[in-house]
Amino acid sequence: MAVASTTTTVAPHAVLDHIHPEPTSFIRKYIFSIDHKVIGIQYMITGMIFFVFAGLLAELIRVQLMHNDGRFVSPETYNQIYSMHGSAMVWMVIIPLVTGGFGNYVMPLQIGARDVAFPWLNLAAFWMFPVAGLLLFASFAVGAPDAGWTEYPPVSLQGPEGTSLWCVAIFLIGVSSTITGINFIVTIVKMRAPGMTFTRMPLFVWSQLATAGLSMIATTALAGALLALFLERTFGIPFYDPRHGGSPILWQHMFWFYSHPAVYIMILPAFGIISEIFPTFARKPIFGYKMIAFSSVAIALLGFMVWAHHMFTSGLVPWLQLPFMIMTMIVAIPTGIKIFSWMATLWGGSIELSPAMLFAIGFLITFTFGGVTGVFLSAVPVDLHAHGTYFVVAHFHYVLYGGSVFGIFAGVYYWWPKITGRLMSETLGKWHFWVTFVAFNCTFLPMHWLGLQGMPRRVGVYADTHDAVFWNQVASISSFFLAAATLLLFANMIYSFVKGKKAGPNPWGARTLEWMIPSPPPYYNFKKVPAVLATPYDFGNPLPYIGLERTAGAEAPAVTRTPAPAH
Amino acid sequence: MPEPLGLLEAADPAGQVDTLFRFLAVVGSIIMVYVTGYIIYFVIAFRRPKNAPANHIGVQIHDQPVLEFWWTVIPAVLVASLAIASVQILGSINNTAGDVLTVESIGYQFGFAFRYPKIANPIPDEMHVPVNTPITVYVTSRDVIHGFWVPEVRLKADMVPGIINTIRFTPTRIGTYPIICTSFCGALHGKMAAKLVIDSQQDFAKWYNAQGGKGTTGGTGGNAAGVAVALQGGKVEAGQALFGQKCSACHSVGPYAQKIVGPGLGHIFDDSAHPKLVDGDTPTPQNVAKILKNGYQGDIGVMPSSQANAINNADIANLVAYLVSLSKH
Repeated sequence: MAVASTTTTVAPHAVLDHIHPEPTSFIRKYIFSIDHKVIGIQYMITGMIFFVFAGLLAELIRVQLMHNDGRFVSPETYNQIYSMHGSAMVWMVIIPLVTGGFGNYVMPLQIGARDVAFPWLNLAAFWMFPVAGLLLFASFAVGAPDAGWTEYPPVSLQGPEGTSLWCVAIFLIGVSSTITGINFIVTIVKMRAPGMTFTRMPLFVWSQLATAGLSMIATTALAGALLALFLERTFGIPFYDPRHGGSPILWQHMFWFYSHPAVYIMILPAFGIISEIFPTFARKPIFGYKMIAFSSVAIALLGFMVWAHHMFTSGLVPWLQLPFMIMTMIVAIPTGIKIFSWMATLWGGSIELSPAMLFAIGFLITFTFGGVTGVFLSAVPVDLHAHGTYFVVAHFHYVLYGGSVFGIFAGVYYWWPKITGRLMSETLGKWHFWVTFVAFNCTFLPMHWLGLQGMPRRVGVYADTHDAVFWNQVASISSFFLAAATLLLFANMIYSFVKGKKAGPNPWGARTLEWMIPSPPPYYNFKKVPAVLATPYDFGNPLPYIGLERTAGAEAPAVTRTPAPAH
Repeated sequence: MPEPLGLLEAADPAGQVDTLFRFLAVVGSIIMVYVTGYIIYFVIAFRRPKNAPANHIGVQIHDQPVLEFWWTVIPAVLVASLAIASVQILGSINNTAGDVLTVESIGYQFGFAFRYPKIANPIPDEMHVPVNTPITVYVTSRDVIHGFWVPEVRLKADMVPGIINTIRFTPTRIGTYPIICTSFCGALHGKMAAKLVIDSQQDFAKWYNAQGGKGTTGGTGGNAAGVAVALQGGKVEAGQALFGQKCSACHSVGPYAQKIVGPGLGHIFDDSAHPKLVDGDTPTPQNVAKILKNGYQGDIGVMPSSQANAINNADIANLVAYLVSLSKH
């Protein structure tokens, strides 16, 4: 409207065709860039660095648990190590990688946009992340938080000074996460290329949309809880300490009102990643596109109604246990729909076992296992036994490592050629997968029975009943292989930079928009905003997915889906 | 059938929990075998042939409504049956009738203490219970959140300061089992543990009497006939100071509902929602003094006697004067 009212009228398509010049200074180009691709890469690099540190903390945990007498580090140090491992992995690694990293880099390309809706906000959101991460790790200097990543008061009120720093760091990354959520929602709703209806969006975009909604709403509850904890620790305002009229249960409600949706913030984008990979490497349309997209939204909505299943032992009145148990069990249904749809995508395919595909298949198996044990824990009588034990540790590592991290690895192999313009070594990638897959299962599978047979979580010493020392040693030694396997990924990255072949725009023959432009994509992504003509995974469709030459003002032609061959 | 967890079942709900676990383990294993099996089969059967042309594609199928219907309905049925089984077992866990023996367990950094009816002092580290007797354990905490877990009983409750949580079970197997703290509670959390000793009825009676208890049953409010305490001359300030030393670990000076271990005492004389004291008497200064003197045992908790608390009659007079002053506001 503003354009039309000026005296020098500019045609709408001329506005669209205007390309901002790329900044020339190093700082504006690589440090404080507003380009979503640069910001996405910044998130990935920063997240990977924190992944290494948080992973090393995990290895220290495993070294301690090689013996049951706590001979490696003191209890105080041990408590700080595992608390920092969890906090860093959740907030400084997985969430930034799957939303800020892959979301930023891939999502605007997949919807045919030149950037996100609010590039400057994106820049601000990114720079909160390394600051928050450094604040978090700086807490080691003054005594790191020691009460686990959940930091339940009142014990966290007694925690070292670093616990307050933890509050600030997590608050900051929460703000970053919230504004990224808002940014992505606006981007996806308002900036899709002409012709890209909601049902023509790639499933990765759907997953980012559902995730962004979760980030935007749930994180505010965490912010409130953190602010109150900080105020109580610093100024003694009694929110949580019952001696002064506070309620320790209040923290648990507010924390889990965020942190259960946070589990879906971590897993939904991984769902999106493998939903791109399965069709590409099976050369088939994704099976049940709409069911996968809607089940992402269903999981996100249900995610807000299950938080108290983390609190079955906290003293909820019995009648309140029931709705939370039943809602939690219901989550299994949309999750099952996704799993079966991915399996059906494999059926009848032309399957190529590239490293990305291997990790996606590995994801399907390990995540399903984590989902099944999640249903175990949803049943209150079983949870009354398993809560707070290594069974829970095993369960969420199957979901977060076997799910989210496998998804991240799959995404790295899938989009690396797009990001760098070079291919990785397939052989190294396959070694990375197989060592990771075997070592992962040997690390976390024994933790199921360790927990069921009496080993609580968050302990640096434990009783050697039911061969607990033996199974902990199995887990520890396997975890060293798991860490070593990750070095193969880094070696592959170096190999790709040094000797990797040029990838070309579309090395996998995928159909989504990011593969229609050069690798790496130019600053402006799309010189002309493309018109989307078809659905993203129809490998048998003679109609191209996009027309790169947009006809100004014209609607995209209706798409007729070619009938599937008789089967 | 052996216990599916490889753990003894030492008390009544353990068998039911294990039944539910066995159901989950069987159904979960079937799902895993199907999912993994089909994935491996698909990958082998539909692998792209080595000499396939570049434009080789899979079967172009988008959906299959019948299949999708069944893989929505079958999990829904499984989930519904799991929910029904869970609700039934949960009901029998929560509604066990007849608390023949009531024990209180108080967690602290870093140990467990246990209080029994008619035993004045809490007993550290060991909880004795008689076999085949319904037990109710009220758990709470003196400082931070702890967890009370006996793996062989399959039950757990958090010990939350200010809240009393309940565990009910009936021991079935004589022996000694670990009580483990499952909620991180500070530097020595990993070493916080105690023992659950399930005794024969005779051994328990012997142990109970040796601790100063009389008889194996109890749990109801037990005020012996009170000796009147002279309340004249009680000083509010002295009572306030003493309250801070002796009472404030368990009682707030807020309203009744603001519990730490026991109820808040800020309005015991003028709380229309609680017109009676915990022992059912009318809230007069003399009746409050009687509880302070003799202690109290009941569902709400155990309050030690003045002897156990090491306070004399003058102290009681001061405390009552302080409590009266609170209620006037």
